[in-house]
Amino acid sequence: MEHRIDPWLILAVAGILGASLVTQHAVSQVVGAQLFVRQLVWACGGLLLLLVLSRVRLDIYARVAPLAYGLGIAALIVVLFIGEVRAGTRGWFAVGPLTVQPSEFARVTTMLMVAAWLGRHGGPHLTSKDSAVVAALVGVAGGLVAIEPDLGVTITYLPVAIAGLWLGGLPRWAWIGLILLAVVAGAVAWNTTLKDFQKERVLTVLDPERDPYGVGYQVRQSKIAVGSGGGVGQGVGQGSQSLLRYLPAQHTDFAFAVWAEATGFVGASGLILAYGLLLFRIGLTAAVADSRFGLVLAMLIGAWLAFQVAVNLGVVVGLLPTTGITLPLFSYGGSSLLSTCAALGVVQSVWRHRLVNQ
Amino acid sequence: MEIREDLGPLRRRATLLLLAVFLTLGALHLRVAQLQLLEGEHWRQMAENNRLRRLPLPAVRGRIYDRRGNVLADNLPTWNLLLFPDEARNLDETLLFVASLGVSDAASLHQAVDRRGVDRLAPLVVGESLDWSQVSRVRAHQSDHPELSLVAGFRRHYPFGSSTAHAVGHLRLVTQAELDRDPGLDPGTRVGATGIEALADDFLAGRAGDRWVVVSAVGQLLGVVRESPSSAGRDLAVTLDAELQQVAASALGDRAGAVVALDPRNGAVRALVSSPSFDPELFSGRLSSAAWTALVDDPRHPLQDRCLQAAYPPGSTIKPFLALAALNEGLIDPDRTVVCTGSVVLHGHPFRCWQRSGHGSVDLERSLEASCDVYYYQTGQRLGIDRMARWFGTFGFGKPTGIGLPSEAPGLVGTPEWSRRVRGTPWYPGDAVSVSIGQGPVLTTATQLARGFAALANGGSLITPHVVVDPSQPAPVDLGLSPTSLARVRRGLELVVHGDYGTARRLARLPVAGKTGTAQVARLQEGVDSKDLPTHLQHHAWFVGWAPLDAPELVVAVVVEHGGGGGSVAAPTAATIFEAALAGGTGG
Repeated sequence: MEHRIDPWLILAVAGILGASLVTQHAVSQVVGAQLFVRQLVWACGGLLLLLVLSRVRLDIYARVAPLAYGLGIAALIVVLFIGEVRAGTRGWFAVGPLTVQPSEFARVTTMLMVAAWLGRHGGPHLTSKDSAVVAALVGVAGGLVAIEPDLGVTITYLPVAIAGLWLGGLPRWAWIGLILLAVVAGAVAWNTTLKDFQKERVLTVLDPERDPYGVGYQVRQSKIAVGSGGGVGQGVGQGSQSLLRYLPAQHTDFAFAVWAEATGFVGASGLILAYGLLLFRIGLTAAVADSRFGLVLAMLIGAWLAFQVAVNLGVVVGLLPTTGITLPLFSYGGSSLLSTCAALGVVQSVWRHRLVNQ
Repeated sequence: MEIREDLGPLRRRATLLLLAVFLTLGALHLRVAQLQLLEGEHWRQMAENNRLRRLPLPAVRGRIYDRRGNVLADNLPTWNLLLFPDEARNLDETLLFVASLGVSDAASLHQAVDRRGVDRLAPLVVGESLDWSQVSRVRAHQSDHPELSLVAGFRRHYPFGSSTAHAVGHLRLVTQAELDRDPGLDPGTRVGATGIEALADDFLAGRAGDRWVVVSAVGQLLGVVRESPSSAGRDLAVTLDAELQQVAASALGDRAGAVVALDPRNGAVRALVSSPSFDPELFSGRLSSAAWTALVDDPRHPLQDRCLQAAYPPGSTIKPFLALAALNEGLIDPDRTVVCTGSVVLHGHPFRCWQRSGHGSVDLERSLEASCDVYYYQTGQRLGIDRMARWFGTFGFGKPTGIGLPSEAPGLVGTPEWSRRVRGTPWYPGDAVSVSIGQGPVLTTATQLARGFAALANGGSLITPHVVVDPSQPAPVDLGLSPTSLARVRRGLELVVHGDYGTARRLARLPVAGKTGTAQVARLQEGVDSKDLPTHLQHHAWFVGWAPLDAPELVVAVVVEHGGGGGSVAAPTAATIFEAALAGGTGG
């Protein structure tokens, strides 16, 4: 029994993609690159992928999850040897003129596997063995990405682990233990492994005027861009921050700032609303799901998307240190866009294959 | 699927998670509202006072030293004026102000602004080498024109000026094609255009850096965002001798011509002087189109390097090579005499000796000493054009010497094959007769002749002339000449200066051997004296020789365009250079 695809989710996705294309078009004018055309091609491909994957039956996802997970891990291992290096990170397969980032796709297969495991194991609470399996499934994939090293993508594996453990029902004492562990690990990392520039990024959030032209430059420029958008914005292709290229990484990490400068509070609110609608429809999908697998799967995907949206916006408005996390569906990049659409296609499979009269 | 299990706890936890998500999203929305609605005006003012600029940090070009440590090319600190066009409130007014300084004209400024690329943060260089009055005027109006910025730069300076202009070379602005190839290159960069500046550009250039700064609305520096320092180029020592260059330049005076001096033992070039010359510093700054037109349209072509880029008929200076060819082929006996009656009939045409009355009985030494044409007409006939051409090639004629400086002319050694292919006419037997006295289809550069004479001076090894000592350059090539033949030819060239009949006997006070040459530009009609011809048809005068006699340390080749006789014009010029070199010591 199949239901129709969720029109509200499609509306939200189309709205975000439209705003993204407007932004990429404006940025293309300034940097003189073909960002718009490529993003348009990927957006169309992404929507198609979403529709196709939504037609696949949910139990098939549960069955292929181990295979998909294995393929994802294999890709992450292979890329460490034959991958292309960009800015010090060995994380891309070069396929002709295109490059594919396996870490974006392996996250989707990891979520499938975690959901499949939690769908079959655990009653009201997680046993310590099941907790360890969940942590290991995410840890292996995330660890391989960390070796590349791609810190930004590694961090996005974190919400998958946390949401998995939370939904599975990790006991309260374990959470307290984890939080304490995180605090201790953070303190140790601060004093040992974190590099000076990374510490400076953190300190800049606490004290924005610390080094406004050095480490604080990006965040300061981003805040100026967002703030000077005002109520209704300066118009697309008009903002001085974007136009004069004061703002770094305009098409990727700071794309939201370009949009906010151009369209002001009206446009920024519209975009945040679209993300809210998207996450709400994913939550609703989880609520109407009739299996543990479907519920956990939709929630994992929702948690990951919410995490990325929150962290990216947090950086852009100067509340979080610069991390290199992109805004899903909005930032420029084919692998990120296609893997996000694939994940949303899986969510739609949960939506379409729920029981009637639930 | 396990559809009947209890999803209650799962749903409860999912709801809590979703609640957290929406609270976070709401908080972020509030933050956006704070930035845009409450603080919008503040941030917009920040945007006004937030001008990012990329300031180029030019690389200091390496100095060029001569063999004695004289500086041939140096850098002087100067002020340059940069314009950030996107920051200008009224660009037209700013360009008028810049034009009023007298550093550039309004039309070319507008053109430069229109042409600039997408990299908008990079400034335009609108003025170079500003003088103090211009600097102080910019300073006085700085607050009216925050989009202008004075920066320190370097200007290339050549202490020996026009006397080293061709050898050391000059600079030029990078071309658009070079900018496209190397995105790190700055549009204001100057690179070597000619001479050693071009030959060793990679070595001298260094690498420019840049500094990203934020300035306020009035152009005040607020902070440095990041900086990549420039790296200086390396200093270069060359084989040239600046003092010998100056002596040669003044010996040539305002006559058109060239002097090449080199060490025959290793090919180290001591002097490369071309006249008339120009001021190479014209190219260190912005060259006005009037100055450029004047240089290019000058009928005397001062930009041409007559040492390397001009090929002349060698005239009689080719004779020692012809003699060696015939001796080594066993075609002539150096002791057998030829009777010169002033002319000889070959292929049905009379060919005259320059000495109308004839030289009488002439052996090998005398043929060189008195430069008898008839002797060489006959020697050339015995060799034939193919063997002559092959031997000329052996001595390095008809191809570049490999000195490494740009745009070297190969010269010409005419052959029947060349005649058909290039000239489009059959080879005439008379051509070979002309070639045997260095006329007709044979052309050499002064550097080629200096190289050829170096092989005579050093005992028969062909050296590769060079201005920069480089371990990878080719070693001298032993030509395998018979030592006795070479000794006879050398003896003949000594007699040119020290014999009673020598064409350069006015140099007899100096320990010099060599050969004069007087190359016809136009065929003389019967009864016309060459001195009565207009200047542009008068003969080219050559002298090529070496000193000291027993252990040659310096070969000098002099050519004076339309100068007249080699013995009367070129030889005294060479004498001045030999005297200076012998007094100053040329060893090394």
